[in-house]
Amino acid sequence: MRRYHLVVIGAGPAGLSAAIEAAKHGMKVGVFDENARPGGQLFKQIHKFFGSKEHKAKIRGFNIGNELLKEAEQLGVDVHLNSVVMGIYDPLHITVAEDDHITSYAGDNILVATGASENMIPFEGWTLPGVIGAGAAQTLMNLHGVKPGDNILMVGSGNVGLVVSFQLLQAGCHVKAIIDAAPRVGGYGVHAAKVARTGVPFYLSHTIVKAEGNEKVERVTIGQVDSHWQVIPGTEKEFDVDTICLAVGLSPMSQLTRIAGCKMVDRGGLVPETDEYGQTSVDGIFAAGDVAGIEEASSAMIGGRIAALAAAKRSGFVTEDEFETEYQNQHASLMKLRKGMFSHENKGRTDLVKTDEGYPLSMSLLKNGYIAEDEIGEYPGVGRTKKVGVHPVIECTQNIPCNPCQDACKFGCIEVGETITSLPVVKEGSKCVNCGMCVASCSGQAIFLVDEEAEEGFATITLPYEFLPLPEKGDKGTALDRSGKAICDAEVTQVRTSGAFDHTALLTMKVPAEMANRARFFQKREGVR
Amino acid sequence: MAGICDRSKDIGPFVPQADDDLIICRCEEITKGEIRKAVHMGLWTMTEVKRMIRPGMGLCQGQTCSKNVKRIIAQELGVSPAELEESTARPPVRPLEMEVLGNEVEEL
Repeated sequence: MRRYHLVVIGAGPAGLSAAIEAAKHGMKVGVFDENARPGGQLFKQIHKFFGSKEHKAKIRGFNIGNELLKEAEQLGVDVHLNSVVMGIYDPLHITVAEDDHITSYAGDNILVATGASENMIPFEGWTLPGVIGAGAAQTLMNLHGVKPGDNILMVGSGNVGLVVSFQLLQAGCHVKAIIDAAPRVGGYGVHAAKVARTGVPFYLSHTIVKAEGNEKVERVTIGQVDSHWQVIPGTEKEFDVDTICLAVGLSPMSQLTRIAGCKMVDRGGLVPETDEYGQTSVDGIFAAGDVAGIEEASSAMIGGRIAALAAAKRSGFVTEDEFETEYQNQHASLMKLRKGMFSHENKGRTDLVKTDEGYPLSMSLLKNGYIAEDEIGEYPGVGRTKKVGVHPVIECTQNIPCNPCQDACKFGCIEVGETITSLPVVKEGSKCVNCGMCVASCSGQAIFLVDEEAEEGFATITLPYEFLPLPEKGDKGTALDRSGKAICDAEVTQVRTSGAFDHTALLTMKVPAEMANRARFFQKREGVR
Repeated sequence: MAGICDRSKDIGPFVPQADDDLIICRCEEITKGEIRKAVHMGLWTMTEVKRMIRPGMGLCQGQTCSKNVKRIIAQELGVSPAELEESTARPPVRPLEMEVLGNEVEEL
């Protein structure tokens, strides 16, 4: 039987990171994944990641996946694809179905990093073709280049629902609405805002009543819910859609740890109980990533590394001291991500009204997906005073772990500080040179360059633009406000692209001066130059 | 678990609901009403319901429906879903052809 020092089940962010960390310390590692391609969800993630430099912030997910794969390969990690791990047997053996046969492997340590699967909610018509998981929509678009549908209803306003909605828009779909039974938008405000300003309406406290159609989804009815989640009669609304995407949470795929006899706990889905190093109740079996508790890819990568270090220590590949030093580094990095409004302890809270710094949270952002015009001046990245010349306007208003904007500005205009969840501050008296690096570096697409008096009676606004085809200089169209409402005519004065911007184009539009602090999106008028 | 092990608890009669014909397990086409009736027949655990009427025994092996099946059983019993034990996990965790299962190859 072939033996590995570490058997990793699942080649997603946690599994690959663990494999790399273990191989670095001299372990022979075998990674098994049931999919034809490694990388788990990473290769569907076409958006730029949050965090700080150490978490690979502002790098797009699939590029992080490519980096991990390359590193794993260079370190001699065996990656077995199309390999379904059927079970874990005593003592630390796995049985794998590969092609037309099964093979058993032995591991000195086993890391289960099998991830999670999407939750489904049953409603009238949910078995009609056209009702799919948001992750499935992402797989269709980003792995297979297939548009899931033309007119979409997104159910769920967590980060998955918001990010996939944006990707659907990028793929040319029409997202008719984003609904959520909860009273507050669940995901990052910046993700909601970039969808809302294209004109997608948010319906919070709304659920699906039914989906209808002949053979496939043609129509959906939603309704507002009361405090007991019951639909209030008379609040129903209908939308003509061909696709309903469900982004209503994830369930850990923890069967293998149950088979192995690990002690389980219920955290909105059964997960193996682990210590801070990912060690389960069965000696030598570790768990990391979503299977150990739903989080996001950046935390999963660190969790994988920590579990690998613990396995390396268990098998004598690192000394106690080496382990302690490296663990502390990883742990510190993980703790940075676990701060702020979306951390574990604050998850699902509906009573938060202020940021850590004491700024009032935008209630409009939580309810409608965009910041109201009377709220925006409150924040340190925006301010109420009129500024002369081009300057950054940072509409980042929630404590999320992210700071690439600070490093992006070489002229010291932007400060986040030591705590990466702090709101970015545009420093008084700093000189902006209109380079646009901050706009392109912001994973939340929340930074704009505004010149309120670019020319007599007109202002210019530079915004991040990730839709194709790119508008061109001279294109005429309409400026939309934060809610996606058309507010005035706009003309494109410049479109900047650069390798450093990593596929985020910088579109500059000219609008009437009084619209400088309202216009936030450009919509081309068809056929007009 | 203690609460639902007491089989003498009175959970009342089966009362039909408007959405009883809603399919919960897509693979085996088991409806909400069938699951609720099973509970009233005395099947109070995930394992019992699974063995009797098969939700979660199809192609996806309960990946899609088990959370919803659990919620329905719990609701019928008047307990929290967290109190219900998951049905036993056993290999193979994915559907597997007997032809493959019977073809073991030793890799050295």
